[in-house]
Amino acid sequence: MKVGIPKGLLYYKYHPFLITFFKELGADVVVSEDTNKKILDLGVKYAVDEACLPIKIFHGHAVALRDKCDIIVIPRIMQIKKNEYICPKFCGLPEMVTNSIENMPLSITEPIYTFTKKRLYRWAKSAGKKVTGNEFKIKHAFLKAYEGQLNYNAGILDENYDIKIALVGHPYNIYDNFVNMNLVNKLNKLGVGVETMEFTHELLISLEINNLYKRPFWTFARENYGFAVNASKEKRVDGIIYISSFNCGIDSVIIELIKDKVGSFPFLTLKVDEHTGEAGIDTRIEAFTDMLERRIVNESNIPTHG
Amino acid sequence: MKVTFPHMGNVYLAAKALLDGLGIDYVIPPKNNKEALDIGTLHSPEEMCLPFKLMIGNYVQAIQKGADTIIIVGSCGPCRFGEYCELQMNLMKNLGYDLNFIVIDYPKDIGIKELYRRISQVSSKSNRKTYEKLKALSNSLKVIRLIDEIEEAAHMFAGYERNKGDCKHILNECKEEASKCRTSKEMINLLIEYKEKIKHVPIDINKNPLKIAVIGEIYTVIESYTNFSIEDKLMGYGVSSHRGLTPSWWVKNALLSPLKINSLAIRRNAKKYLPLQIGGHAIECVGEAVTASKEGYDGAIQIFPMGCMPEIVSKSILPTISKDLDFPVMSLVVDDMTGEAGYITRIEAFIDLLERRRESVLFRC
Ligand code: SF4
Ligand code: SF4
Repeated sequence: MKVGIPKGLLYYKYHPFLITFFKELGADVVVSEDTNKKILDLGVKYAVDEACLPIKIFHGHAVALRDKCDIIVIPRIMQIKKNEYICPKFCGLPEMVTNSIENMPLSITEPIYTFTKKRLYRWAKSAGKKVTGNEFKIKHAFLKAYEGQLNYNAGILDENYDIKIALVGHPYNIYDNFVNMNLVNKLNKLGVGVETMEFTHELLISLEINNLYKRPFWTFARENYGFAVNASKEKRVDGIIYISSFNCGIDSVIIELIKDKVGSFPFLTLKVDEHTGEAGIDTRIEAFTDMLERRIVNESNIPTHG
Repeated sequence: MKVTFPHMGNVYLAAKALLDGLGIDYVIPPKNNKEALDIGTLHSPEEMCLPFKLMIGNYVQAIQKGADTIIIVGSCGPCRFGEYCELQMNLMKNLGYDLNFIVIDYPKDIGIKELYRRISQVSSKSNRKTYEKLKALSNSLKVIRLIDEIEEAAHMFAGYERNKGDCKHILNECKEEASKCRTSKEMINLLIEYKEKIKHVPIDINKNPLKIAVIGEIYTVIESYTNFSIEDKLMGYGVSSHRGLTPSWWVKNALLSPLKINSLAIRRNAKKYLPLQIGGHAIECVGEAVTASKEGYDGAIQIFPMGCMPEIVSKSILPTISKDLDFPVMSLVVDDMTGEAGYITRIEAFIDLLERRRESVLFRC
């Protein structure tokens, strides 16, 4: 049996788990190709106009897999942490995809809660059943996949750069190089090192969050906010770049919260959608880098008091 | 202390009744208007949803009239509304206003003690006795229920009225008069009187008007300023309309949701298309579309603000419902740039479509 896995949204975070799980079940795993112009165009054609870019791209991947698999995984990720959510569009992702694209194959849409191993196993059991009747095999595949995920370390932590920035945003914007137009590469070429949130300890994130009047109930809002504020406060980075999609309700809130907290600390928001031109992005990151360089020179010229 | 609160449809009448009953000084912000929207748009982050911007406009205009304390309802659903308070507090502080925000949240999120502390910030300013305070609360709930009932009846009877414009006239007069009442008792009596009035509007039972359900995001369907008074317009066209999301529905839903016995029928009807709660009121939107079709409505109009996350999910589902049940649904997206003219053209075109469908059905028989 061929199981299709679209390379969109949180694939970038959870691919070790998803791929190992279905491979171990004995399925043929088909992953869609890297995001490209064709996939984007398909997504724009099929998804509702008002959807954000990452959702459109996911639609594109789903269309690309439509005739290549017997069953497709549309992860309905409800919660990663207890009492926190991701985005309403994640909870309704299977509905969006199956109602917008005709002739979809059978799909795996069971809700996913990852905050305990037990909850996740519940998903594995019902999803696995669609591939094999062998419960022992499912358990085995689950354990392997779980372990594979634990051993997988995503994240970027560049060393030996004079300038460093914190790269903040949802994982699918940071790690999909078509969407961000090779942002990390470009920054590196400009002599800018990048750090992402995976290296900030959960405790430090919580400390920052506790300063808020209200605890954000979105996982990525919590993590991104905690990371950006912490990295700027401890001067691990010289600036913050936030990569966001137009019309992302979550980003619009996090960006404001961070900006309000870090004050005059250098902050650049890059917004992407299907019309974003590469030239515009290039100019903006170059200008931002120039500004950071000037600041560093100025700061080292000013004698420190006290 | 002079309190104020953001607008949402007729909620200000209930708030007025409550604060009058408590004897607390308050300012009602001017009804949503162009200037409020401009103020809100100027100061809010560009991609915030429309309700956020109007609320900022309400605050600023209320402050100009002397308000210094803002009461808002928070909620911890997976949607932006729950985060409003934090952003709005920061924003107003950065604009240089020294304000006290009182955020009423669900006890499960902040604890019953904290909720009590926040409420007593307001209620301790009232010198009324406890039973009077409770009376004020129950009166205000009565007000909102009454005005919702009157509105519902007016929207429905508008299609059947003998003298064109009766319902619209009575409804508007009722709101006008209610905002002039000085005590909650007076307001309740007035509303009861108007409820009788609207019940006795001369109607023609044999008429068979078009019936449209208004569904979508709660703020934009309730707050007529954001939807260019769609319900008034429908009344004007002689179309009967119904909207399930009302402030009194919201109150009931909030009270019943911990027991999971809220809106059972709606959730049952939505189940086939959207099995899980995703945040906002997407389930209600989908469920109401199915319900309306079952109840013989001619069509539904979905309204939501630009960028509204849950309603974008509903919008992808609605075409399937429309196809499955042969039930026309139109989606209208509103934001601070929406032009009224284009909006009206679309509503009229939709009504035409529904009328033509009826004719062709008759023709076939
Ligand atoms: S979090 Fe933002 S970018 Fe991601 S799906 Fe939701 S709206 Fe789109
Ligand atoms: S439901 Fe829509 S309008 Fe309401 S807070 Fe969420 S995104 Fe904004």
